[in-house]
Amino acid sequence: MNPLRRFVVIAATVCSLSAPVVFAASTVKTPNFEKVKLANGATLLLMERHDVPLIAFTAVVRGGALTDPAERLGTASLLAGLLEKGAGNRDANTFAETVASVGGQIQTGTSTESISVAGSFLARDQKLMVELLADVLQRPRLEEKQFETLRDRSIEFIRAAKDSDRSTLTPIYGAASLFGAHPYGRSVGGSEASLAAIKHADVRQYYADNFGADRVIIAVAGDFKTAQLKSLLSRAFANWRKAGQPLPAVPKQTQVTARRVLLVDAPDAVQSYFWCGDVSVPRNDPRRAALDIVNTLFGGRFTSMLNTELRIRSGLSYGASSRFDRMAEGGSWELGSFTRTEKTIEAIDLAFATLDKLHAGAIDDAQLESAKSYVLGQYPLGLETASQWAYQLATLELYGLDRSYIDDYGNQLAAVTLADARHVIDEVIPSSRQVVLVVIGKADAIREGLRKYGPLTEVKLSDPEFRAQP
Amino acid sequence: MTSRSRLSRMLLLGLVLLAPAGFAQVPGADQVRTATLANGMQIIVWPDHDIPNVALYNWVHVGSRNEAPGITGLAHFFEHMMFNGTSKRAPGEFDQVLEANGARNNAFTSDDVTVYQDWFPRSALETVFELEADRLQNLAFDPKVVESERDVVHSERRLRVDDSHQGRLQERVQATAFLAHPYGIPTIGWPSDILSWTIDDLKKFFSTYYAPNNCTLVLVGDVEPDSAIALARKYFEPIPAQEPPRPVKTVEPEQLGERRVAINAEAQTPLIQFAYHGLAGTDPRRPALDLLTRVLTDGDASRLHRALVEEQKLAISADSYFSAGFDPGLVWFFLSLPANGDASQAEAEFTRQIERVIKEGVTADELARARSQALADFWRGLATIDGKANAIGTFAVLQGGYQKLFDEPRAYEAVTQQDIQKVAAEFLRSSNRTVGVLKSPPPAEDVQTKTGGAQ
Repeated sequence: MNPLRRFVVIAATVCSLSAPVVFAASTVKTPNFEKVKLANGATLLLMERHDVPLIAFTAVVRGGALTDPAERLGTASLLAGLLEKGAGNRDANTFAETVASVGGQIQTGTSTESISVAGSFLARDQKLMVELLADVLQRPRLEEKQFETLRDRSIEFIRAAKDSDRSTLTPIYGAASLFGAHPYGRSVGGSEASLAAIKHADVRQYYADNFGADRVIIAVAGDFKTAQLKSLLSRAFANWRKAGQPLPAVPKQTQVTARRVLLVDAPDAVQSYFWCGDVSVPRNDPRRAALDIVNTLFGGRFTSMLNTELRIRSGLSYGASSRFDRMAEGGSWELGSFTRTEKTIEAIDLAFATLDKLHAGAIDDAQLESAKSYVLGQYPLGLETASQWAYQLATLELYGLDRSYIDDYGNQLAAVTLADARHVIDEVIPSSRQVVLVVIGKADAIREGLRKYGPLTEVKLSDPEFRAQP
Repeated sequence: MTSRSRLSRMLLLGLVLLAPAGFAQVPGADQVRTATLANGMQIIVWPDHDIPNVALYNWVHVGSRNEAPGITGLAHFFEHMMFNGTSKRAPGEFDQVLEANGARNNAFTSDDVTVYQDWFPRSALETVFELEADRLQNLAFDPKVVESERDVVHSERRLRVDDSHQGRLQERVQATAFLAHPYGIPTIGWPSDILSWTIDDLKKFFSTYYAPNNCTLVLVGDVEPDSAIALARKYFEPIPAQEPPRPVKTVEPEQLGERRVAINAEAQTPLIQFAYHGLAGTDPRRPALDLLTRVLTDGDASRLHRALVEEQKLAISADSYFSAGFDPGLVWFFLSLPANGDASQAEAEFTRQIERVIKEGVTADELARARSQALADFWRGLATIDGKANAIGTFAVLQGGYQKLFDEPRAYEAVTQQDIQKVAAEFLRSSNRTVGVLKSPPPAEDVQTKTGGAQ
C-alpha cells in the first residue's frame, strides 16, 4: 500500500466537514487461534477470548442444499431442523430442557453449501456443550414422528411467508430463475411441493451420505484453555466415521446473455416487489475490495445511487439495495426494491437507468474515498463478540481462506483506485440488458407493461414451486 | 482503564449465572457517567474499548402515544424528516457526511419514543455531535421533500401492514384494545392521515417535542466520558429548552369483557392474535411478566409451543411479546395456523392453557429455566456496544432509570412462583383481552349454493 493514499483519504474526508477527523486505519486483526486436523479429517479451530466467561461455537458441515437430491429439495434443511429434535440419550423434550436450563443456545441452519450448528454456553458448561454438540452431529435421533411434524410445519411456514413481506421471497424466485438447473438456484428450504415429496428415509440417507468427520469444521471462540478444550473436542470427534459420499463438483454457471422476466402473480398485492440479478464472482475473487466499494456506492448503503434514486429523490420506494451472494465456485449479484403497483414500470425503468449510469462512469474520486471510509469504519462491528469470531473462523475455513482475508482487508480497500473500480464495473457488474428480472405483484395490472423487458414467464404466488414448471 | 473494562465485561456476560444467588451488582455501573445540560438534555456515557467504535442513541420522548386523529403517524414521519436537511445543510448531506466518515445511521419509532442511532469509528465522534445537534436545532421543511417522503412512508406502510397479514391484523387488534388511550393509534399512521398532514402540523410537532429537554442522549463504546460530555455541552447546550410537552393524561378504563376483531383475507395460513392489557415499564411486576411469557412461549420446551405446535399441531408457531412503555401496554400472543387450520379449536386450546397457568401456576423447574433464559438473553444483549446502548437507554427512558439495568439480574432472581401466578391471574383474564382472527372468507361454492338456493 502506498502510504500517501492515506493522506489523500484524510483530505477527501475532511474537505466536506468543518471539524477535522483522523482517518481510522483498519484496526481489526484476527486474534491468534489454533487449527487442529484430526486423523479422520475433522477440523478444529480454537480462539481463546478471555474477556467474558462465555464460549461460542459454529460447526459447519460441508454440503447443504448442494447435496440435496434434485427431486427432493429441502432435504438438507429438514435434516438440520431435526438435529436438535433429540440426540444421544436425550429425546427432543429433554434436549430442549437441558439447553434452556443452563441458559445455553443451539441453533441449526442451512445454506446452499453447508449445514451449520451454532450456539453459546457459559464457560462453566464447557463439557456439557461439547457433549451436546457431539450428540447433535454424530448421534441425532432423526425420529420419524419428529420428521413428519417438522416437514408438515416447514410446508406451512412457506405458505405463511407468502402472506407476509414479499420482499423476502423475490431472492428465492430470483435464484431459481437465474441459475435454472444449476445447484446455486436451489431453494434452500425447498418448496411446498418438494418438501411434500420427502420421506423419512431420504433424510436418514442424506445424513449417512453427507455427515462425517471429513466434512466438518468446528470453530470455537471464548473463555477456555486451548489445551483442555482441544482434548475434549478431539476425544469427542476422533471416532466419527467419514461421510458416505464425496462432495459433488459444482458445474460451471452460465452468464445471462439476454434479459428475461419472471412474473409471480399475487392478486391481492398493493405493491410490486422486484429483483434482478446475474451470475457473479466466487468468495475468493481477488477483486473483493474493489467490488465491495463499487457495490457500496451502487446499492450497499443509504446514500447509494440506487437508494438515492428510488427513495430519496423520487419517493417511489421505502428502500432499494444491491448485494453480492458469493459462494465457493461462483454466486450472484442482485438488486431489489418495491413500489406501489401503479408505479411498477417507472421504478424498474429507474433502477435500470441507474445501473446504466454506473456503467457510464458515475463514480468519482470523492465517492471512492467516502466508500472506503464507510466500509472500513463499519468493519469492526462484525468482529466484536466471540460468536462473531467463531462464525468468521468457520467461514474462512469453509472457503479455504486464511486470516489475511480479514487482516489485509483494510490495506486492500485503501489501495483501490478509480481505475480499479471502473474495471470491476465493466468486468463483473451486469448491464441492465444482462439480468433476470423477477416481479411479485398484481399480474393483471403489470403484465403488459413488463413485456418490454424481455420474454415473460408467469407463475402464481400460490403455486407450490418457486419456479415455472416446464 | 483497559483492565477495568475487561472486568466489567466478564461480569456482564454471565457471572451472575455462575452465582445464582444473584448478589452481583454489575460493575459496569461505576464506569457510566451522566450529565444534565443547562437546557435539560440528559447525557449518558458508558465507555467500552473492545473495538474502536461508538454507538450513539438519541432517545426523543415522543411516539404515536402523543398523536391524535388527523395527525396519526406524525412521530414516525419525523423519524424520516430528520434525515432531510436543515437550514445549514441540504437534504441528503447528513447521510453523505456521516457515511464519508465511516458512520452508519438508522432510527426507529414506537408508541412511546423515537430513537436516532449512529454507529461510527471513534474518529467521527465530533462530526456526529455536530450533525446531531444541527438537525435537532435547525430542521428544514422543504415542501417538495415533504411530499416525496410522504410517498416513502406510504410505501413502508404497504410493506409492513397492507401486504402483510400479521401487520394488518395487529393494527386492528391494537386499535380495538384501546377505547381511550392513544396506544390504540398505529405508529405508521392511518393512510388518510399519511396523505393529509400539513407543513404546519410538522412545524408545531417539531417545536413541541424535538426540544433538548425532551431528549436522552446515550453513547457507548470507545469514548472517554469527560470528552464526550464536553462535546455534548459544546454542541447541544446552546439549543434552547422548550416548554415541556403536555403530558398524556388519559388512562385506559378497565376492560369489562372480551373484544373481538375479524378480518377476511385470502390467507394461505389463518392467524389468531390475543392482546391483554398489561403494565408500564416502571411496574415492578415486569420481570415476573417476562418470566411468565417465557414459560409460555420461549423455546421448544415452553408450554404453548409444546401443546399447540408439537403435540396437538393446532398451530405452526406460538410467540409472545409485551410492551412496557410510559403507560400500561399490551401483552401479545401470536398464533399462526396451518392451512385450513381450525381457528376456534386453536383458540380454545390456547385459552385452556392460559386458564391452567392462572389456576395452577408454573413449576419450580419452569421458573428456573425461564430465569436462566432471561438472564442469558440479558447478558447476550449486552455483548455489543449497540446492545448496551439500546438496553441502558430503554431503562433510562422507559423503565425507571438507567441504574435499574444493573439491578435486572437481581430482579429476575427475586421472582417467585407465586409472583408469576399472580401476574397471570391479574393480566391474562379473558375479560381483559382482545382476540383477532384473520382467515379466508367462506369458500366460493358455499356462496354459490346460497345464491342458487335463493333463485
